[in-house]
Amino acid sequence: MPRSLWTGSLSFGLVNVPVQLVTAVQDVGFRFRQLNSKTHRPIEVRRFCSEEDREVAYEEIAHGYELDDGNQVIITDEDLAAVEPRKTRTIDIDSFVELADVDPIYFDHPYFLVPIGESEGTLRAYQLLVEVMSSTDRAALGRFVMRTKEYLVLVRVRDGRLALTTLLWHDEVRESKGIAPGGKAKPDKTCVEQTVALIEALSVDWDPSRYEDEYRKRVADVIARKKKGGTIKAPAAEKEPAPTPDLMAALEKTLAEMKGGGGGKASAAGSGGRDELEGMTKQELAQRAADEGVEGRSKMTKDELVDALAG
Amino acid sequence: MPRSIFNATISFGLVNVPIKLYSATESKTVHFREVHETDGAKIEHRRIDPETGDVVPYDDIVKGYEVAQGEFVELSKEEIAAAAGEKTKRIAIDEFVPAGAIDPVFYEKTYYVGCREGGADAYRTLHAALAQTERAGIGHMTYHNREYLVAIRALDDVIALHTMRFADELVPGDELDAGEPEKGPSQREVKMAGSLVDALAAEFKPEEQRDTYRESVLAMIDAKAKGKQVVRAAPDEPAEETDLLAALQASVKGAKG
Repeated sequence: MPRSLWTGSLSFGLVNVPVQLVTAVQDVGFRFRQLNSKTHRPIEVRRFCSEEDREVAYEEIAHGYELDDGNQVIITDEDLAAVEPRKTRTIDIDSFVELADVDPIYFDHPYFLVPIGESEGTLRAYQLLVEVMSSTDRAALGRFVMRTKEYLVLVRVRDGRLALTTLLWHDEVRESKGIAPGGKAKPDKTCVEQTVALIEALSVDWDPSRYEDEYRKRVADVIARKKKGGTIKAPAAEKEPAPTPDLMAALEKTLAEMKGGGGGKASAAGSGGRDELEGMTKQELAQRAADEGVEGRSKMTKDELVDALAG
Repeated sequence: MPRSIFNATISFGLVNVPIKLYSATESKTVHFREVHETDGAKIEHRRIDPETGDVVPYDDIVKGYEVAQGEFVELSKEEIAAAAGEKTKRIAIDEFVPAGAIDPVFYEKTYYVGCREGGADAYRTLHAALAQTERAGIGHMTYHNREYLVAIRALDDVIALHTMRFADELVPGDELDAGEPEKGPSQREVKMAGSLVDALAAEFKPEEQRDTYRESVLAMIDAKAKGKQVVRAAPDEPAEETDLLAALQASVKGAKG
Protein backbone atom coordinates (compact mmCIF):
# COMPACT_ATOMS: atom_id res chain seq x y z
CA MET A 1 0.00 0.00 0.00
CA PRO A 2 1.29 3.50 -0.79
CA ARG A 3 2.53 5.40 2.25
CA SER A 4 0.25 7.64 4.23
CA LEU A 5 0.54 11.33 3.30
CA TRP A 6 -1.87 12.69 5.86
CA THR A 7 -3.93 11.33 8.73
CA GLY A 8 -6.97 12.87 10.30
CA SER A 9 -10.67 12.40 10.12
CA LEU A 10 -13.32 12.72 7.49
CA SER A 11 -16.00 14.82 9.04
CA PHE A 12 -19.48 14.17 7.74
CA GLY A 13 -22.04 16.06 9.78
CA LEU A 14 -21.25 14.96 13.32
CA VAL A 15 -19.72 11.67 12.21
CA ASN A 16 -15.92 11.56 12.23
CA VAL A 17 -14.16 8.70 10.49
CA PRO A 18 -10.41 8.40 11.19
CA VAL A 19 -8.71 8.08 7.80
CA GLN A 20 -5.34 8.27 6.15
CA LEU A 21 -4.72 9.73 2.75
CA VAL A 22 -2.69 7.75 0.20
CA THR A 23 -1.93 8.61 -3.39
CA ALA A 24 -3.99 6.90 -6.09
CA VAL A 25 -1.28 7.16 -8.74
CA GLN A 26 1.92 5.16 -8.67
CA ASP A 27 5.20 5.99 -10.32
CA VAL A 28 5.83 3.32 -12.93
CA GLY A 29 8.14 5.35 -15.18
CA PHE A 30 11.91 5.51 -15.19
CA ARG A 31 13.78 7.77 -12.82
CA PHE A 32 17.03 9.19 -14.09
CA ARG A 33 19.96 10.67 -12.21
CA GLN A 34 22.09 13.47 -13.59
CA LEU A 35 25.63 12.26 -14.25
CA ASN A 36 28.87 14.00 -15.10
CA SER A 37 29.68 12.49 -18.51
CA LYS A 38 33.44 12.97 -17.90
CA THR A 39 33.64 11.10 -14.60
CA HIS A 40 30.43 9.04 -14.92
CA ARG A 41 29.51 9.96 -11.37
CA PRO A 42 26.14 11.25 -10.20
CA ILE A 43 26.25 14.96 -9.53
CA GLU A 44 24.81 16.72 -6.53
CA VAL A 45 22.77 19.88 -6.67
CA ARG A 46 23.91 22.27 -3.95
CA ARG A 47 22.61 25.67 -2.94
CA PHE A 48 24.91 28.67 -3.16
CA CYS A 49 24.41 32.27 -2.11
CA SER A 50 24.84 34.28 -5.30
CA GLU A 51 26.28 37.28 -3.40
CA GLU A 52 28.76 35.55 -1.15
CA ASP A 53 29.49 32.77 -3.64
CA ARG A 54 29.45 30.15 -0.87
CA GLU A 55 27.38 27.06 -0.18
CA VAL A 56 24.53 27.67 2.27
CA ALA A 57 22.78 25.20 4.57
CA TYR A 58 19.11 24.49 4.07
CA GLU A 59 18.26 26.25 7.36
CA GLU A 60 19.66 29.52 6.01
CA ILE A 61 17.19 29.60 3.14
CA ALA A 62 14.14 31.85 3.24
CA HIS A 63 11.42 32.63 0.72
CA GLY A 64 11.69 35.73 -1.44
CA TYR A 65 8.55 37.34 -2.81
CA GLU A 66 8.86 40.00 -5.45
CA LEU A 67 6.43 42.89 -5.09
CA ASP A 68 4.93 44.73 -8.04
CA ASP A 69 7.36 47.62 -7.49
CA GLY A 70 10.30 45.26 -7.90
CA ASN A 71 11.20 45.23 -4.21
CA GLN A 72 11.54 41.91 -2.47
CA VAL A 73 9.97 40.82 0.84
CA ILE A 74 11.72 38.04 2.70
CA ILE A 75 9.29 35.55 4.19
CA THR A 76 10.50 33.07 6.81
CA ASP A 77 9.08 29.66 7.72
CA GLU A 78 7.71 31.29 10.90
CA ASP A 79 5.81 33.86 8.82
CA LEU A 80 4.26 31.07 6.77
CA ALA A 81 3.41 29.10 9.92
CA ALA A 82 1.53 32.13 11.23
CA VAL A 83 -0.95 31.98 8.35
CA GLU A 84 -1.31 28.20 8.34
CA PRO A 85 -5.01 27.42 8.35
CA ARG A 86 -6.27 26.48 11.82
CA LYS A 87 -7.96 23.17 11.19
CA THR A 88 -5.35 20.71 10.15
CA ARG A 89 -6.78 17.34 11.10
CA THR A 90 -10.17 17.12 9.43
CA ILE A 91 -11.65 16.91 5.98
CA ASP A 92 -14.84 18.91 6.35
CA ILE A 93 -17.68 17.98 4.03
CA ASP A 94 -19.74 21.08 3.28
CA SER A 95 -22.17 19.80 0.68
CA PHE A 96 -22.98 17.06 -1.81
CA VAL A 97 -22.88 18.06 -5.46
CA GLU A 98 -23.82 16.23 -8.66
CA LEU A 99 -20.64 14.51 -9.82
CA ALA A 100 -21.65 15.20 -13.44
CA ASP A 101 -21.64 18.95 -12.72
CA VAL A 102 -17.96 18.96 -11.78
CA ASP A 103 -16.14 19.08 -15.08
CA PRO A 104 -13.05 16.82 -15.04
CA ILE A 105 -10.99 19.92 -15.90
CA TYR A 106 -11.18 20.75 -12.15
CA PHE A 107 -9.73 17.41 -11.07
CA ASP A 108 -6.16 17.76 -9.88
CA HIS A 109 -4.48 14.94 -7.97
CA PRO A 110 -6.26 11.68 -7.08
CA TYR A 111 -5.96 10.01 -3.69
CA PHE A 112 -7.72 7.32 -1.68
CA LEU A 113 -8.96 7.62 1.89
CA VAL A 114 -8.32 4.48 3.94
CA PRO A 115 -9.81 3.89 7.41
CA ILE A 116 -7.26 3.91 10.23
CA GLY A 117 -7.19 0.96 12.60
CA GLU A 118 -9.43 -2.04 13.01
CA SER A 119 -12.02 -0.58 15.35
CA GLU A 120 -15.50 -1.80 14.44
CA GLY A 121 -16.91 1.71 14.81
CA THR A 122 -14.44 3.21 12.33
CA LEU A 123 -14.81 0.43 9.78
CA ARG A 124 -18.59 0.59 9.99
CA ALA A 125 -18.70 4.36 9.58
CA TYR A 126 -16.32 4.07 6.59
CA GLN A 127 -18.45 1.30 5.08
CA LEU A 128 -21.55 3.41 5.65
CA LEU A 129 -20.06 6.28 3.65
CA VAL A 130 -19.03 3.90 0.86
CA GLU A 131 -22.55 2.45 0.69
CA VAL A 132 -24.33 5.78 0.80
CA MET A 133 -22.08 7.40 -1.76
CA SER A 134 -22.28 4.42 -4.12
CA SER A 135 -26.03 4.77 -4.18
CA THR A 136 -26.09 8.45 -5.12
CA ASP A 137 -24.86 10.42 -8.14
CA ARG A 138 -23.56 13.01 -5.73
CA ALA A 139 -20.01 13.50 -4.50
CA ALA A 140 -18.98 15.22 -1.27
CA LEU A 141 -17.40 18.64 -1.61
CA GLY A 142 -15.14 19.70 1.21
CA ARG A 143 -11.89 21.24 2.29
CA PHE A 144 -8.84 20.12 4.16
CA VAL A 145 -5.34 21.24 4.92
CA MET A 146 -2.29 19.23 3.97
CA ARG A 147 1.27 20.42 4.48
CA THR A 148 0.15 24.00 5.25
CA LYS A 149 -1.96 24.37 2.13
CA GLU A 150 -5.73 24.32 2.02
CA TYR A 151 -7.38 22.24 -0.70
CA LEU A 152 -10.86 22.10 -2.14
CA VAL A 153 -11.65 18.40 -2.49
CA LEU A 154 -14.23 16.06 -3.89
CA VAL A 155 -14.84 12.72 -2.17
CA ARG A 156 -16.61 9.92 -4.02
CA VAL A 157 -16.46 6.14 -4.32
CA ARG A 158 -14.08 4.45 -6.74
CA ASP A 159 -13.01 0.79 -6.67
CA GLY A 160 -15.13 0.30 -3.52
CA ARG A 161 -13.09 2.84 -1.56
CA LEU A 162 -13.53 6.48 -0.71
CA ALA A 163 -11.58 8.37 -3.34
CA LEU A 164 -10.52 11.96 -2.79
CA THR A 165 -9.38 14.31 -5.50
CA THR A 166 -8.00 17.76 -4.96
CA LEU A 167 -9.74 20.31 -7.18
CA LEU A 168 -8.33 23.32 -8.95
CA TRP A 169 -9.66 26.68 -7.82
CA HIS A 170 -11.97 28.42 -10.21
CA ASP A 171 -9.38 31.02 -11.22
CA GLU A 172 -6.87 28.26 -11.99
CA VAL A 173 -9.04 27.10 -14.89
CA ARG A 174 -8.57 29.51 -17.75
CA GLU A 175 -11.39 30.91 -19.79
CA SER A 176 -11.65 29.36 -23.21
CA LYS A 177 -13.08 32.50 -24.77
CA GLY A 178 -11.52 33.36 -28.11
CA ILE A 179 -9.81 29.99 -28.58
CA ALA A 180 -12.33 28.22 -30.82
CA PRO A 181 -12.70 29.68 -34.34
CA GLY A 182 -14.78 32.81 -34.03
CA GLY A 183 -17.58 34.12 -36.18
CA LYS A 184 -21.13 32.93 -36.63
CA ALA A 185 -20.25 30.27 -39.21
CA LYS A 186 -22.02 26.95 -38.65
CA PRO A 187 -20.42 23.70 -39.79
CA ASP A 188 -21.92 22.12 -42.88
CA LYS A 189 -24.73 19.77 -41.86
CA THR A 190 -23.73 16.95 -44.19
CA CYS A 191 -20.09 17.16 -43.07
CA VAL A 192 -21.20 16.87 -39.44
CA GLU A 193 -23.39 13.86 -40.32
CA GLN A 194 -20.48 12.18 -42.09
CA THR A 195 -18.17 12.89 -39.14
CA VAL A 196 -20.77 11.46 -36.75
CA ALA A 197 -20.93 8.35 -38.96
CA LEU A 198 -17.14 8.12 -38.90
CA ILE A 199 -17.02 8.53 -35.09
CA GLU A 200 -19.63 5.82 -34.72
CA ALA A 201 -17.75 3.48 -37.03
CA LEU A 202 -14.61 3.98 -34.96
CA SER A 203 -16.35 3.69 -31.60
CA VAL A 204 -15.33 1.15 -28.99
CA ASP A 205 -16.13 0.71 -25.31
CA TRP A 206 -13.92 2.60 -22.86
CA ASP A 207 -11.45 0.07 -21.52
CA PRO A 208 -8.33 1.72 -20.11
CA SER A 209 -6.44 -1.58 -19.89
CA ARG A 210 -6.23 -1.62 -23.70
CA TYR A 211 -3.81 1.30 -23.74
CA GLU A 212 -0.16 0.74 -23.01
CA ASP A 213 2.53 3.31 -22.47
CA GLU A 214 4.62 2.92 -25.62
CA TYR A 215 6.96 5.66 -24.41
CA ARG A 216 7.81 3.73 -21.26
CA LYS A 217 8.47 0.59 -23.35
CA ARG A 218 10.76 2.52 -25.69
CA VAL A 219 12.72 4.00 -22.78
CA ALA A 220 13.15 0.45 -21.41
CA ASP A 221 14.30 -0.66 -24.86
CA VAL A 222 16.77 2.22 -25.25
CA ILE A 223 18.24 1.47 -21.81
CA ALA A 224 18.53 -2.25 -22.61
CA ARG A 225 20.21 -1.62 -25.97
CA LYS A 226 22.58 0.95 -24.50
CA LYS A 227 23.51 -1.45 -21.70
CA LYS A 228 24.61 -3.97 -24.33
CA GLY A 229 26.70 -1.26 -25.96
CA GLY A 230 24.43 -0.50 -28.91
CA THR A 231 24.08 2.89 -30.54
CA ILE A 232 20.78 4.64 -30.63
CA LYS A 233 19.70 7.16 -33.21
CA ALA A 234 16.68 9.40 -32.92
CA PRO A 235 14.12 8.84 -35.69
CA ALA A 236 13.80 11.52 -38.35
CA ALA A 237 11.01 14.03 -37.92
CA GLU A 238 7.77 13.27 -39.72
CA LYS A 239 6.46 16.01 -41.96
CA GLU A 240 3.40 17.68 -40.55
CA PRO A 241 0.34 16.66 -42.57
CA ALA A 242 -1.28 19.38 -44.68
CA PRO A 243 -4.74 20.64 -43.73
CA THR A 244 -7.52 18.79 -45.55
CA PRO A 245 -8.44 20.92 -48.60
CA ASP A 246 -11.88 19.39 -49.19
CA LEU A 247 -13.48 18.24 -45.94
CA MET A 248 -16.47 16.50 -47.51
CA ALA A 249 -14.34 14.57 -50.00
CA ALA A 250 -11.96 13.44 -47.23
CA LEU A 251 -14.85 12.27 -45.03
CA GLU A 252 -16.50 10.39 -47.87
CA LYS A 253 -13.25 8.73 -48.86
CA THR A 254 -12.52 7.70 -45.26
CA LEU A 255 -15.98 6.21 -44.84
CA ALA A 256 -15.74 4.37 -48.17
CA GLU A 257 -12.37 2.91 -47.20
CA MET A 258 -13.70 1.85 -43.84
CA LYS A 259 -16.54 -0.09 -45.39
CA GLY A 260 -13.76 -2.65 -46.02
CA GLY A 261 -14.00 -5.08 -48.97
CA GLY A 262 -14.97 -2.04 -51.06
CA GLY A 263 -12.77 -0.11 -53.40
CA GLY A 264 -10.65 1.77 -50.86
CA LYS A 265 -6.94 1.44 -50.22
CA ALA A 266 -7.65 -0.69 -47.16
CA SER A 267 -8.34 -3.69 -49.34
CA ALA A 268 -6.40 -2.78 -52.46
CA ALA A 269 -4.54 -6.11 -52.52
CA GLY A 270 -7.69 -7.93 -51.52
CA SER A 271 -5.91 -11.11 -50.46
CA GLY A 272 -5.80 -10.50 -46.72
CA GLY A 273 -2.17 -11.66 -46.75
CA ARG A 274 0.03 -10.89 -43.77
CA ASP A 275 2.13 -8.30 -45.62
CA GLU A 276 -0.94 -6.41 -46.64
CA LEU A 277 -2.40 -6.61 -43.14
CA GLU A 278 0.81 -5.32 -41.60
CA GLY A 279 0.66 -2.31 -43.85
CA MET A 280 -2.79 -1.40 -42.62
CA THR A 281 -3.58 1.07 -39.86
CA LYS A 282 -5.18 -0.15 -36.65
CA GLN A 283 -8.41 1.53 -37.72
CA GLU A 284 -8.47 -0.40 -40.97
CA LEU A 285 -7.64 -3.65 -39.18
CA ALA A 286 -10.37 -3.03 -36.60
CA GLN A 287 -12.88 -2.42 -39.36
CA ARG A 288 -11.90 -5.55 -41.21
CA ALA A 289 -12.04 -7.54 -37.96
CA ALA A 290 -15.55 -6.17 -37.42
CA ASP A 291 -16.55 -7.16 -40.96
CA GLU A 292 -15.25 -10.66 -40.41
CA GLY A 293 -16.78 -10.90 -36.96
CA VAL A 294 -13.48 -11.59 -35.16
CA GLU A 295 -14.28 -12.21 -31.51
CA GLY A 296 -12.58 -10.09 -28.82
CA ARG A 297 -11.39 -7.64 -31.49
CA SER A 298 -12.02 -4.55 -29.38
CA LYS A 299 -9.35 -5.66 -26.91
CA MET A 300 -6.73 -6.59 -29.47
CA THR A 301 -3.52 -4.73 -30.18
CA LYS A 302 -2.56 -4.04 -33.77
CA ASP A 303 -0.34 -7.14 -33.90
CA GLU A 304 -3.05 -9.32 -32.45
CA LEU A 305 -5.47 -8.05 -35.05
CA VAL A 306 -3.00 -8.94 -37.80
CA ASP A 307 -2.62 -12.45 -36.32
CA ALA A 308 -6.37 -12.93 -36.02
CA LEU A 309 -7.03 -11.77 -39.58
CA ALA A 310 -4.10 -13.60 -41.18
CA GLY A 311 -4.94 -16.84 -39.40
CA MET B 1 -6.04 35.28 -24.40
CA PRO B 2 -3.08 33.13 -23.36
CA ARG B 3 -0.34 32.27 -25.79
CA SER B 4 -0.46 28.89 -27.51
CA ILE B 5 2.24 26.43 -26.55
CA PHE B 6 2.25 23.94 -29.40
CA ASN B 7 1.16 23.66 -33.04
CA ALA B 8 0.00 20.27 -34.27
CA THR B 9 -2.44 18.52 -36.58
CA ILE B 10 -5.31 16.39 -35.33
CA SER B 11 -5.99 13.61 -37.79
CA PHE B 12 -8.82 11.12 -37.90
CA GLY B 13 -9.52 9.07 -40.98
CA LEU B 14 -8.22 11.14 -43.90
CA VAL B 15 -9.13 14.43 -42.26
CA ASN B 16 -6.33 16.68 -40.97
CA VAL B 17 -7.17 19.62 -38.74
CA PRO B 18 -4.33 22.11 -38.12
CA ILE B 19 -4.57 23.15 -34.46
CA LYS B 20 -2.83 25.02 -31.63
CA LEU B 21 -2.78 23.92 -28.01
CA TYR B 22 -3.24 26.24 -25.05
CA SER B 23 -2.82 25.35 -21.38
CA ALA B 24 -6.29 25.25 -19.91
CA THR B 25 -5.09 25.52 -16.33
CA GLU B 26 -2.54 27.53 -14.37
CA SER B 27 -1.44 27.20 -10.78
CA LYS B 28 -2.20 30.24 -8.63
CA THR B 29 -0.27 28.93 -5.64
CA VAL B 30 1.89 31.75 -4.24
CA HIS B 31 5.39 30.98 -5.46
CA PHE B 32 8.53 32.14 -3.76
CA ARG B 33 12.09 32.05 -4.85
CA GLU B 34 14.79 30.74 -2.59
CA VAL B 35 16.84 33.49 -0.99
CA HIS B 36 19.60 33.59 1.61
CA GLU B 37 17.92 34.59 4.86
CA THR B 38 20.76 36.84 6.07
CA ASP B 39 21.31 38.97 2.96
CA GLY B 40 18.28 38.28 0.75
CA ALA B 41 20.53 37.25 -2.13
CA LYS B 42 19.27 34.79 -4.71
CA ILE B 43 20.10 31.13 -4.13
CA GLU B 44 21.70 29.37 -7.06
CA HIS B 45 21.45 25.63 -7.61
CA ARG B 46 24.84 24.45 -8.80
CA ARG B 47 25.63 21.04 -10.19
CA ILE B 48 28.59 19.77 -8.23
CA ASP B 49 30.76 16.71 -8.70
CA PRO B 50 30.85 15.44 -5.09
CA GLU B 51 34.38 13.98 -5.42
CA THR B 52 36.06 17.16 -6.63
CA GLY B 53 33.62 19.80 -5.37
CA ASP B 54 33.78 21.42 -8.82
CA VAL B 55 30.86 22.77 -10.79
CA VAL B 56 29.94 20.48 -13.71
CA PRO B 57 29.07 22.45 -16.90
CA TYR B 58 25.58 21.82 -18.31
CA ASP B 59 27.00 20.34 -21.52
CA ASP B 60 28.74 17.61 -19.52
CA ILE B 61 25.52 16.43 -17.90
CA VAL B 62 23.92 13.23 -19.14
CA LYS B 63 21.06 11.21 -17.78
CA GLY B 64 21.86 7.98 -15.99
CA TYR B 65 19.58 5.08 -15.19
CA GLU B 66 20.77 3.04 -12.23
CA VAL B 67 20.71 -0.63 -13.27
CA ALA B 68 22.53 -1.85 -10.15
CA GLN B 69 23.86 -0.12 -7.03
CA GLY B 70 26.18 2.61 -8.36
CA GLU B 71 26.09 1.25 -11.91
CA PHE B 72 24.50 3.54 -14.48
CA VAL B 73 23.49 3.28 -18.10
CA GLU B 74 24.16 6.72 -19.57
CA LEU B 75 21.79 8.25 -22.06
CA SER B 76 22.65 11.30 -24.11
CA LYS B 77 20.04 13.89 -25.02
CA GLU B 78 19.73 12.31 -28.47
CA GLU B 79 19.15 8.88 -27.01
CA ILE B 80 16.45 10.26 -24.74
CA ALA B 81 14.88 11.80 -27.84
CA ALA B 82 14.96 8.39 -29.54
CA ALA B 83 12.70 7.03 -26.82
CA ALA B 84 10.12 9.67 -27.66
CA GLY B 85 9.27 7.57 -30.67
CA GLU B 86 8.09 9.05 -33.90
CA LYS B 87 8.96 12.70 -34.04
CA THR B 88 5.59 13.86 -35.15
CA LYS B 89 3.27 16.80 -34.89
CA ARG B 90 0.33 14.59 -35.72
CA ILE B 91 -2.20 13.87 -33.00
CA ALA B 92 -3.68 10.72 -34.47
CA ILE B 93 -7.14 9.89 -33.14
CA ASP B 94 -7.56 6.13 -33.47
CA GLU B 95 -10.92 5.52 -31.90
CA PHE B 96 -13.82 7.05 -30.01
CA VAL B 97 -15.36 6.11 -26.67
CA PRO B 98 -18.39 7.38 -24.73
CA ALA B 99 -16.98 10.50 -23.01
CA GLY B 100 -19.03 9.91 -19.87
CA ALA B 101 -17.53 6.44 -19.42
CA ILE B 102 -14.00 7.80 -18.83
CA ASP B 103 -13.47 8.20 -15.11
CA PRO B 104 -11.91 11.66 -14.58
CA VAL B 105 -9.12 9.97 -12.61
CA PHE B 106 -7.58 9.15 -16.00
CA TYR B 107 -7.32 12.80 -17.02
CA GLU B 108 -3.98 14.30 -16.15
CA LYS B 109 -3.57 17.76 -17.64
CA THR B 110 -6.02 19.70 -19.77
CA TYR B 111 -5.37 21.83 -22.83
CA TYR B 112 -7.70 23.81 -25.01
CA VAL B 113 -7.51 23.15 -28.74
CA GLY B 114 -7.59 26.21 -30.98
CA CYS B 115 -7.50 26.18 -34.73
CA ARG B 116 -4.94 27.44 -37.19
CA GLU B 117 -5.39 28.83 -40.66
CA GLY B 118 -7.23 26.51 -43.00
CA GLY B 119 -8.73 24.48 -40.18
CA ALA B 120 -11.81 26.41 -39.08
CA ASP B 121 -14.37 24.34 -41.02
CA ALA B 122 -12.89 21.02 -39.99
CA TYR B 123 -12.59 22.25 -36.37
CA ARG B 124 -16.23 23.29 -36.19
CA THR B 125 -17.33 20.03 -37.81
CA LEU B 126 -15.29 17.87 -35.41
CA HIS B 127 -16.51 19.90 -32.43
CA ALA B 128 -20.15 19.54 -33.48
CA ALA B 129 -19.79 15.80 -34.09
CA LEU B 130 -18.04 15.21 -30.74
CA ALA B 131 -20.74 17.18 -28.95
CA GLN B 132 -23.56 15.42 -30.77
CA THR B 133 -22.21 11.90 -30.20
CA GLU B 134 -21.00 12.70 -26.63
CA ARG B 135 -17.88 10.78 -27.46
CA ALA B 136 -14.23 11.42 -26.79
CA GLY B 137 -11.53 10.64 -29.34
CA ILE B 138 -8.56 8.63 -28.05
CA GLY B 139 -5.16 8.99 -29.66
CA HIS B 140 -1.49 9.78 -29.22
CA MET B 141 0.52 12.97 -29.12
CA THR B 142 4.27 13.57 -28.89
CA TYR B 143 5.15 16.66 -26.91
CA HIS B 144 8.58 17.63 -25.57
CA ASN B 145 10.17 14.30 -26.44
CA ARG B 146 7.54 12.17 -24.85
CA GLU B 147 4.53 10.39 -26.15
CA TYR B 148 1.20 10.81 -24.40
CA LEU B 149 -2.13 9.06 -24.59
CA VAL B 150 -4.69 11.80 -25.14
CA ALA B 151 -8.45 12.24 -25.20
CA ILE B 152 -10.26 15.02 -27.06
CA ARG B 153 -13.81 16.03 -26.24
CA ALA B 154 -16.19 18.93 -26.75
CA LEU B 155 -16.20 21.28 -23.75
CA ASP B 156 -18.60 24.21 -24.14
CA ASP B 157 -17.60 25.80 -27.44
CA VAL B 158 -14.05 24.47 -27.61
CA ILE B 159 -12.39 21.11 -28.03
CA ALA B 160 -10.49 20.11 -24.88
CA LEU B 161 -7.52 17.76 -24.98
CA HIS B 162 -6.50 15.80 -21.90
CA THR B 163 -3.25 13.93 -21.45
CA MET B 164 -4.18 10.60 -19.87
CA ARG B 165 -2.86 8.32 -17.17
CA PHE B 166 -2.42 4.66 -18.05
CA ALA B 167 -4.38 2.03 -16.15
CA ASP B 168 -1.22 0.67 -14.49
CA GLU B 169 -0.40 4.12 -13.09
CA LEU B 170 -3.47 3.95 -10.87
CA VAL B 171 -3.31 2.23 -7.51
CA PRO B 172 -6.03 -0.47 -7.48
CA GLY B 173 -8.52 0.09 -4.65
CA ASP B 174 -8.28 -3.53 -3.52
CA GLU B 175 -4.56 -3.14 -2.78
CA LEU B 176 -5.37 -0.83 0.10
CA ASP B 177 -5.48 -2.32 3.59
CA ALA B 178 -8.96 -1.35 4.58
CA GLY B 179 -10.59 -3.75 7.02
CA GLU B 180 -14.19 -4.88 6.69
CA PRO B 181 -16.52 -4.30 9.63
CA GLU B 182 -17.87 -7.48 11.29
CA LYS B 183 -21.36 -6.14 10.90
CA GLY B 184 -22.19 -3.82 8.02
CA PRO B 185 -24.10 -0.60 8.60
CA SER B 186 -27.79 -1.12 9.33
CA GLN B 187 -30.50 -0.14 6.88
CA ARG B 188 -31.54 2.58 9.25
CA GLU B 189 -28.04 4.04 9.29
CA VAL B 190 -27.79 3.95 5.49
CA LYS B 191 -31.17 5.66 5.22
CA MET B 192 -30.19 8.27 7.76
CA ALA B 193 -26.87 8.97 6.01
CA GLY B 194 -28.81 9.20 2.74
CA SER B 195 -31.03 11.89 4.24
CA LEU B 196 -27.94 13.77 5.32
CA VAL B 197 -26.63 13.67 1.74
CA ASP B 198 -29.99 14.99 0.55
CA ALA B 199 -30.06 17.68 3.23
CA LEU B 200 -26.60 18.85 2.22
CA ALA B 201 -27.26 18.68 -1.54
CA ALA B 202 -26.02 21.79 -3.30
CA GLU B 203 -25.03 22.96 -6.73
CA PHE B 204 -21.37 22.94 -7.67
CA LYS B 205 -20.45 26.61 -7.96
CA PRO B 206 -16.68 26.74 -8.25
CA GLU B 207 -16.67 30.52 -8.64
CA GLU B 208 -17.98 30.81 -5.09
CA GLN B 209 -15.13 28.83 -3.57
CA ARG B 210 -12.20 30.96 -2.51
CA ASP B 211 -8.68 29.85 -1.80
CA THR B 212 -8.56 31.44 1.63
CA TYR B 213 -5.07 30.12 2.27
CA ARG B 214 -3.71 31.92 -0.79
CA GLU B 215 -5.51 35.07 0.36
CA SER B 216 -3.98 34.90 3.82
CA VAL B 217 -0.47 34.27 2.45
CA LEU B 218 -0.81 37.32 0.20
CA ALA B 219 -2.20 39.39 3.10
CA MET B 220 0.71 38.29 5.30
CA ILE B 221 3.21 39.25 2.59
CA ASP B 222 1.50 42.61 2.30
CA ALA B 223 1.62 43.14 6.08
CA LYS B 224 5.27 42.16 6.17
CA ALA B 225 6.06 44.52 3.29
CA LYS B 226 4.52 47.28 5.37
CA GLY B 227 6.56 46.23 8.38
CA LYS B 228 3.82 44.63 10.50
CA GLN B 229 4.15 41.66 12.87
CA VAL B 230 2.56 38.29 12.09
CA VAL B 231 1.22 35.97 14.84
CA ARG B 232 0.29 32.32 14.85
CA ALA B 233 -3.10 30.75 15.64
CA ALA B 234 -3.61 27.48 17.58
CA PRO B 235 -4.91 24.32 15.80
CA ASP B 236 -8.36 22.83 16.37
CA GLU B 237 -8.89 19.14 17.19
CA PRO B 238 -12.06 17.27 16.15
CA ALA B 239 -14.12 15.42 18.78
CA GLU B 240 -14.05 11.60 18.82
CA GLU B 241 -17.37 10.13 17.71
CA THR B 242 -18.75 6.91 19.16
CA ASP B 243 -22.46 6.49 18.50
CA LEU B 244 -22.85 6.46 14.71
CA LEU B 245 -26.64 6.57 14.58
CA ALA B 246 -27.00 9.30 17.18
CA ALA B 247 -24.40 11.39 15.35
CA LEU B 248 -26.22 10.91 12.05
CA GLN B 249 -29.55 11.88 13.57
CA ALA B 250 -28.06 14.97 15.14
CA SER B 251 -26.37 15.88 11.82
CA VAL B 252 -29.55 15.55 9.78
CA LYS B 253 -31.35 17.66 12.33
CA GLY B 254 -28.57 20.22 12.20
CA ALA B 255 -28.49 20.29 8.38
CA LYS B 256 -32.24 20.80 8.18
CA GLY B 257 -32.17 23.35 11.01
